[in-house]
Amino acid sequence: MNKVSLSMAGKRKREAYCFILPAFIYMILVLGYPLVYNVVLSFKNVNVKNLTKGGSVFVGFQNYIDLFQNPTFLLVLKNTFVFTIACLVFQFTIGFAFALFFSQKFKLSGPIRGMILVSYMMPMSVTGLLGKNIFANAGLINDLLSKIGIAGPEWLVNTSTSMIAVIIMNCWVGIPFNMLLLVSGLTNIPGDVYESASIDGATWMQRFRYITLPLMKGSILSVLMLGFIYTFRAFDLMYIMTAGGPLNSTDVLGTYSYTLSFTQFEFSKGSAVAMVLFACLFIVGLFYLRLLSKEDD
Amino acid sequence: MRKRLAVIGALAMALSLCATGASAEEATEITLWHYFDASADSEAIVEWVDEYNSIQSDIHITATYVSREELMNQYTIGAISGELPDIGMVDSPDMASYISLGVFEDITDYLEAWGETDSFYSGPLSSCMDSDGNLYGLPQNSNCLCLAINMDLLEAAGYDHAPTSLDELSEMVAATTNADDSVYGFAMCCISTEEGTFQLLPWLCATNDGESANVDDLTAASAVKGLSTLGDFVANGYMSKECVNWTQADVWNQFAAGKAAFAEVGTWHLAQTDAIGDAFNYEIVLLPTGDEGTSTSTIGGENFGVCTGAADVEACVEFLEWLCSQEKEAEWAVTAGKIPTRSDSEPEYTYEVENFEVFVDEMNYALARGPHAEWPTISEAIYTAAQSVFVDGTDAADALATAMETITPIVEADPIPEM
Repeated sequence: MNKVSLSMAGKRKREAYCFILPAFIYMILVLGYPLVYNVVLSFKNVNVKNLTKGGSVFVGFQNYIDLFQNPTFLLVLKNTFVFTIACLVFQFTIGFAFALFFSQKFKLSGPIRGMILVSYMMPMSVTGLLGKNIFANAGLINDLLSKIGIAGPEWLVNTSTSMIAVIIMNCWVGIPFNMLLLVSGLTNIPGDVYESASIDGATWMQRFRYITLPLMKGSILSVLMLGFIYTFRAFDLMYIMTAGGPLNSTDVLGTYSYTLSFTQFEFSKGSAVAMVLFACLFIVGLFYLRLLSKEDD
Repeated sequence: MRKRLAVIGALAMALSLCATGASAEEATEITLWHYFDASADSEAIVEWVDEYNSIQSDIHITATYVSREELMNQYTIGAISGELPDIGMVDSPDMASYISLGVFEDITDYLEAWGETDSFYSGPLSSCMDSDGNLYGLPQNSNCLCLAINMDLLEAAGYDHAPTSLDELSEMVAATTNADDSVYGFAMCCISTEEGTFQLLPWLCATNDGESANVDDLTAASAVKGLSTLGDFVANGYMSKECVNWTQADVWNQFAAGKAAFAEVGTWHLAQTDAIGDAFNYEIVLLPTGDEGTSTSTIGGENFGVCTGAADVEACVEFLEWLCSQEKEAEWAVTAGKIPTRSDSEPEYTYEVENFEVFVDEMNYALARGPHAEWPTISEAIYTAAQSVFVDGTDAADALATAMETITPIVEADPIPEM
């Protein structure tokens, strides 16, 4: 009896493996191969001179050591974190405020919410072009500022202001994204919880602090994690709006890796930068999975 | 009756299929990728390819426009995957890198048999060679940079002649700047791409106090003077800081809109002077980059090469020989507003005749970029140096010293060939 059930279990297990096999092969081909290729590339010295002629050798961690001694890379790494954290802070707080606002039932709440989503639906390249024009010296922002008597800065020309301009454009896209996810979290909170809290005399602030925030914990974490991943690997916005300039002030890991590989033909160095980008996101991803499994428990 | 009609129809269809099959066998399909985007040359390349298709039956070429940036990416990806067009266009300073990446076929033997390579100017032709002197393509068009002057603004500032030295230019740039009307004295492109380096090099390699420097020696006093003069233009408000984001097309738009008294412009802009019309009088002169009576410029232009793995290399080379023949070079120069790459081609310009002569004269003082497989890295060091002077106010000597930290090891390993 026991033997039979064991062999049954073994058979079922084999069946289960058969079912996950296609997905496994797909993952190996589409994710595993490029990743392994990239890791190998980052430990070699492949460049314009030896890509096709051969003669590239393994150099160990030399590319990584070179990168962390290169002031441009350190600036790029700093830019990536500044950009990501600033964008997260602004798009989350403003997005949350919008979500709270639009979860109220009032006339036109639906249509206005839909209109805010337009910026999220626009392709990033279009947003980049818009940003380029809005923040030009004689662009929309400076024109508006001059109407109230303020001489606007040369946004995209100065190293100190170019990052601000890029962050503003990214938030413009990120706010509706945050709002959308948070609104769906808010609608999942049953209305009677608030009702009984009001009967008990809870103020608006108390209801927010002790009901909304705890019940939204899952949604908030998802939004922050997804936001981090999307923002950290930014490429198209900078590529179109500033090309990483001036003087690398808006260069992030994505654009820097691209420049190294496709403009300078330093393929191995470009791969090493991509690996740093991957490592950062991998850590965040692990953190997210741990939080999710905790939630499930 | 209906049955018979159906049979006849089927027969006709089969016959027509046979006919198309037969003609496809005759001509090999050849793909040509280019990034001509100005109306004059983008239309011309299609017409010319049609013409070539009609005069021979070995190959049938299809010309496809791919944006410059995307085309360069495709070459890099194609170097690994092998997915390349049969014939490809490339910006002359980038060709050495793509030759090194194995994107282009060595066609030296075919071109030697052709026997006309001696007719090409050495600067453009050298950009199609590897360090052993093997040829991988042909230069199809050339251009260089000159100074465009808004004579109305210059005369309003009290001058009646064009500048002939850097000092005189500096004086006039200061005098013609009018912040109230947002008119700048000078406009040039210093964007963080090859275009920026193209426009900066004449000033860095200028003759100052009888000395001049090359790309491998940018810490020389003459180069520092060139860059610091441009830096002063920005610091004093004679040139917009936005030049670090301007392409050459943006610079031309500024000039054509009367927003700049002087501008560094390319040969191809002569095909776009209708943007100015009768708005103001303009003049084209040699770039006064240094001492009285001296000038320097940069050679630009596009090459065509046969890509590795092309369907019919010999037939593709024959097309290049036709495209870059004595007669066709002269014709292209007039159509697209360029300078021929061959000394035996004599274009008969029908517009801006005198101004084209200035550009042809300037070619005598124009420097080639490279050829060097690592030119993109050298180029980045150069525009970054200039941007740090313009944007952050870095001292020109310090900025160029930083650039040389990148450039020196590259040129020590592989020197830039002497022209």
